[in-house]
Amino acid sequence: MKIIDCHCHVASEEHIPMSFVEGSVANMAAALSAQGLPSRTKKLTAMFMNKMQDPLGDALVQEMDDAGISKSILLIADFSYALKDCKLTIAESFTRHREVLRRHPGKFEVFGGVDPRWGKDGLTLFERSLTEFGFRGFKIYPPCGFNPSDAALFPYYELCAYHQVPVLAHIGPTSPVLDFSISSPFLLDDAARRFPSVNFILAHGAVSFVEECVMMCRFRPNVYLDISGYQATLGYDPSAMAVKQILSQGINHKVLFGTDFPVFRLQGEQKDFLQPLLRENGALEDLSDREKSMVLHENVERLLETAVSVAAA
Amino acid sequence: MSLDSHFDRQIIDLVASGVSGKFKKVKITGATNLQKELGMDSIGMLALVFRFEELFGIDMAQMGVDVNIAKLKTVDDLIQAGRDILSKAQAVGAH
Repeated sequence: MKIIDCHCHVASEEHIPMSFVEGSVANMAAALSAQGLPSRTKKLTAMFMNKMQDPLGDALVQEMDDAGISKSILLIADFSYALKDCKLTIAESFTRHREVLRRHPGKFEVFGGVDPRWGKDGLTLFERSLTEFGFRGFKIYPPCGFNPSDAALFPYYELCAYHQVPVLAHIGPTSPVLDFSISSPFLLDDAARRFPSVNFILAHGAVSFVEECVMMCRFRPNVYLDISGYQATLGYDPSAMAVKQILSQGINHKVLFGTDFPVFRLQGEQKDFLQPLLRENGALEDLSDREKSMVLHENVERLLETAVSVAAA
Repeated sequence: MSLDSHFDRQIIDLVASGVSGKFKKVKITGATNLQKELGMDSIGMLALVFRFEELFGIDMAQMGVDVNIAKLKTVDDLIQAGRDILSKAQAVGAH
């Protein structure tokens, strides 16, 4: 069956600053320290960074091929306003992603992300990404310090409406160097209501604020969720019951498959993460073939074809 | 007990020491899948690697050895990786 991964990132420190990585590693170090293992922050950081050496997307394409994933959406999270140790400007980051897109024809789509506090320059860059670079959506990262329904984002959403592209919003906690308090899906509700012709995807909706995300998907015609991040639960839940739970809520026309590559590369490869979903007794087992198709590729394909939902049209 | 089987036992004991909850009931053999059958997530795997270093008194980073924990699927994979690492450690020590 065709599979599209709606949530990936280019694995490179060019796009993800060290402060972000070190914050995430601090959580791993705390978990290991609680097990009586002495602090190995430096070593953990090195191991994580070893998995971040794929600036051109070649390793990701190999993993996609091994897993049977035909296409992935690369998301550009703009950390460059909030974290000052970014190696590239956001404009340079867009250019690099354009190169990856051209290098692997048909393998990727890109959603560009801009922190709205960059003002008019950011808006111009985002519009160019849609009209010149071939990008197909907008990525926002509210924990960088802005509300997803902030009026500063409205011009971006107007562009999304005009160009009929979706918005993908990070939901829930992230690296501890950022602000978790503005990561609730309900903060997106005002924007979703004001822009009914724009489709919004709640990232990590199977693992963060699950009940709220399901509620939003059920009652807002233009709100969807992706399941990326479910790998974090596989330690205590190897059959991905968290995903199964989401898929039993009557919103399968709103659920998108995603992995959040390269975040879980220390844990496994893309093919390993599909097994808990697709194997016997896996999370997708109870779905009809039609529903599996929707979750694995049709829902995201529909969003890429047109941002106007049936209910809003 | 041969040296090899003694090493295998050490690795299995190491794995068993990191297994918790409902997975503690699983009988661990070479074919046991670390994630699916023992609930080992990335933190569990990292803990295994670090405990391996402690047990054998080595520092893989200093040896220039990179263990790809994403490739370690079963206990047998772990045993083989452990053997490879210790061989390298002995080679480094011999120089």
